Amino acid sequence: MEVVKQLLGRLHPLIVHLPIGFILLGLLLQWHDRKNGQYSKVISLIYLWAGISAVLACITGYLQYLGEGYGFDTVKWHLWWGIATALFCFVMYVRLREWKTIYFISKIPIIVFSILFFGLISFTGHQGGNITHGTDYLVEPLPNSVKSALGYKIFEEKEIALNAANWEEALLYEDVIVPILNNKCVSCHNPKKVKGELLLDTEEGILAGGENGAVVVANKASDSEIFVRMNLPKDNDDHMPPEGKTQPSKEEIALIGAWVDAGHPFEGTIAESGLKQELFQPFFPTKIDNDYPNIEVAAASKDSIEAIKDKGIHIDKISEATNFLKVSCLNKPSFSDSDFDLLNPLINQIAILDVAGTKITDAIFDKLTKLPNLTLLNLDHTNISGEGIEKLASSSKYLKSINLTGTHFKEPHLQKLADFNTLKKVYVFQTELDVKGPKTLNDGQITVDYGNYELPTIASDSIFY
Amino acid sequence: MKDKIERLLQEKIRRETEAKTRRHFIKQCATGMGGLALGSIFAGCGDFLKDEKSFKKSGFSDRDLNPLATLAPPFGPKVKNVIYLHMAGAPSQLEMFDYKPELQKLNNQECPQSLIQGKKFAFIRGTPKLLGPQANFKREGESGNWVSDNLPHFKKVVDEVAFLKAVHTDQFNHGPAQLFMHTGSPRLGRPSIGSWVTYGLGSDNQNLPGFVVLTSGGKAPSAGKSVWGSGFLPSVYQGVQCRSKGDPVLYIEDPDGISRNLKKSTIDAINKINKEEYARYADPEILARINQYEMAYRMQIAVPDVMNINDEPENIKQMYGVEPGKESFANNCLLARKLVEDGVRFVQLFDWGWDTHGTGRDTAVDIGLRNKCREVDRPMTALLLDLKQRGLLDDTLVVWGGEFGRTPMQENREGKEMGFKGRDHHGDAFTMWMAGGGIKKGAVHGQTDEIGFSGVEGRVSVHDVHATILHLLGFDHEQFTFDFQGRPFRLTDVEGEVIREILA
Repeated sequence: MEVVKQLLGRLHPLIVHLPIGFILLGLLLQWHDRKNGQYSKVISLIYLWAGISAVLACITGYLQYLGEGYGFDTVKWHLWWGIATALFCFVMYVRLREWKTIYFISKIPIIVFSILFFGLISFTGHQGGNITHGTDYLVEPLPNSVKSALGYKIFEEKEIALNAANWEEALLYEDVIVPILNNKCVSCHNPKKVKGELLLDTEEGILAGGENGAVVVANKASDSEIFVRMNLPKDNDDHMPPEGKTQPSKEEIALIGAWVDAGHPFEGTIAESGLKQELFQPFFPTKIDNDYPNIEVAAASKDSIEAIKDKGIHIDKISEATNFLKVSCLNKPSFSDSDFDLLNPLINQIAILDVAGTKITDAIFDKLTKLPNLTLLNLDHTNISGEGIEKLASSSKYLKSINLTGTHFKEPHLQKLADFNTLKKVYVFQTELDVKGPKTLNDGQITVDYGNYELPTIASDSIFY
Repeated sequence: MKDKIERLLQEKIRRETEAKTRRHFIKQCATGMGGLALGSIFAGCGDFLKDEKSFKKSGFSDRDLNPLATLAPPFGPKVKNVIYLHMAGAPSQLEMFDYKPELQKLNNQECPQSLIQGKKFAFIRGTPKLLGPQANFKREGESGNWVSDNLPHFKKVVDEVAFLKAVHTDQFNHGPAQLFMHTGSPRLGRPSIGSWVTYGLGSDNQNLPGFVVLTSGGKAPSAGKSVWGSGFLPSVYQGVQCRSKGDPVLYIEDPDGISRNLKKSTIDAINKINKEEYARYADPEILARINQYEMAYRMQIAVPDVMNINDEPENIKQMYGVEPGKESFANNCLLARKLVEDGVRFVQLFDWGWDTHGTGRDTAVDIGLRNKCREVDRPMTALLLDLKQRGLLDDTLVVWGGEFGRTPMQENREGKEMGFKGRDHHGDAFTMWMAGGGIKKGAVHGQTDEIGFSGVEGRVSVHDVHATILHLLGFDHEQFTFDFQGRPFRLTDVEGEVIREILA
């Protein structure tokens, strides 16, 4: 018997569409027939069927409520309005049959009944939908701006804003733990979803734990579910967040652990918790060390890039994140000083220039002064001697590295490099300078690598076991 | 006869209609509908796609014409090239980098059951005995990192590299483990790292392949050519195997009696037909094919040139210890530098002979392994130094490793005691190192337990290594995908975390 009850209950979502269909059909026919009034007998018959199927829907609905363990509070409005809809079907039937015995009904205009009826079926249907899919089912796909205009709470990523100066004053729970939980856990552990009966959006929720009990054990991260689960292998069924969800980073997990080990305080600054700086270091803004200046530059025109590419010169953005360009003559060994003028449309965008193995001469240095944002410069395997290299010292504010390997670079020009304020590396292997290994200039600011590294033969080279 | 000609003509008409309707519509319109539509409105039909230039203007990218055209990575890259040195057969970390004095004390004692219970080994059966390190270790360089005296040259560059001491893999046989290490999956069908990288970034040098593979040690990797295969990526991204002995690329030389000019005329004729074909169907695949023919023609000159190590100066040859005319790891290391210098994106070296089970002298960890170490010690050290002195180490990543590590236990094949000291396959913990752009010099990440059985700190997976390589090249490994069989695929599948501890 229990099986039949449950089965019938589960048929509710199916059967419920019968009265909806009948009622809408009836209402449409009424509209169609509003002038002639020829179909009222058919329409009343439709409402009779609507009433009968609505009763069936009520019965199955009640069985589903019993069988699936819904709370009465959840279903009560749907239940009462459902019954009301069923009853109203019969009222409509009576009204359309115009039985004189039920006099008062026939006095009210039929249009009032129809509008009421439409409202009733829509509202009841919506209530049912809310039970099955949740109340924000229709709102969810809307853009965040519309949602917040409608007064719905939206999920927002929170950022951990720490830096070397403020980290000690930041609040441990509020500024560090809350953003991690919010970004990685709360989308499932919030009052609307409550997966595993656990709430992680409030202090009370964390302390209350979930269906498997407490999630934090004071001062013992290794016994605290919240920490243990995040550390399980990702293919473990108990791993949190589950596969497919955004995973916290190693550093974030470590912080959760450290917070629990420190007695999971909800108040107080990081300094008061006594946690070490290493834990927070990964969240500090990192020094940007790209191969292009840390400034914005307008994008070069596509047409001029295409035109230069057609000449056999490689041009690529350094990355999609910047407009700075890398220009390489790898495929154009015939590139000469005069060809440099081709690059004129790109002078502001060029950060990396590779003219290695080309026909350039020392005259190139005059032209290179046109590149204000030059950062890496490859002049290796060319005929330059370095005459005029000092001109770059004032023009290139960002120059980090010059490769002069395999050129005729001469000693006197080397000293001029001391005027380059941003320069870090110079490669002069296989030049006319015959020194070994790296040397420094400007108190270590510039490393000049002469190369000529050697691996002398040692006894073990010829020992065969 | 007339009948046959009639049939041929009909087939031609049918093919043309097919091409005009299905291929023309799906291929053209799906890839460049906007460009095409606008192009046809403004330029009229018929001639607006007649050559490469007008083709580009109609909204197609360089990639439609040439699958190896370069692309910018999504984020700021630290390196643009990779040299991956794979010691095929799995080198013993316990005789090279992972110093375990405690294991020496436990030498010849039975391995505790708790350690091996439930573990799978390739050959070890029953209860094996522990085997102490068969090499002496010293702290080297300013970093003071451990290196064994099996690598006397490498000691000098220890401050250049970052060690991963607790890499782990879930594969314990060579084939699947090598596949896992190079494609992110122990099963066939996925693209190798080099293919992913070439697909993502293209190839700088238009005369050379973007992904070159060199092998040494007398044997190809157990997993076969799939370790440099392109999987579901277009086959143009697979590795091109070059040889340091004989013809660098098989079948690239012109056959006897065919002159360079004749070859050029042949390719010109083929391309002329292809261009006519293109004028008719406007299919970008045809332009890609024309480019391929031209590249193959250029490669005939460029590849033998870059693969020739004889013209290198004597001191460089001495530093690497090259043996011209032979197939050797030293030759391959020198070639790797030359290739990277010429803009080859990914150079993959495999050196076979590291499978030190102790079944004979050659595979004993105190005999054969020392010879293998000697074979690679000088070349890999020279490679780092040579890249460094040319400024290439700033934008090149060098990765060193095997497909797994070796057991702290003496192998006991079939449960019997063996004549030589050997170690079985072991995936729980092994050492890899990286050097080059974006790598923290002298760093050590990860630590194994007292006997080197498992990682106890800083364990990293094969996926983590891949994520790190992609990160250094400017990719987010989670966003870098290729759609296949109805879903996006990644090199790192659904795992992998960038190993930030070894990044500068």
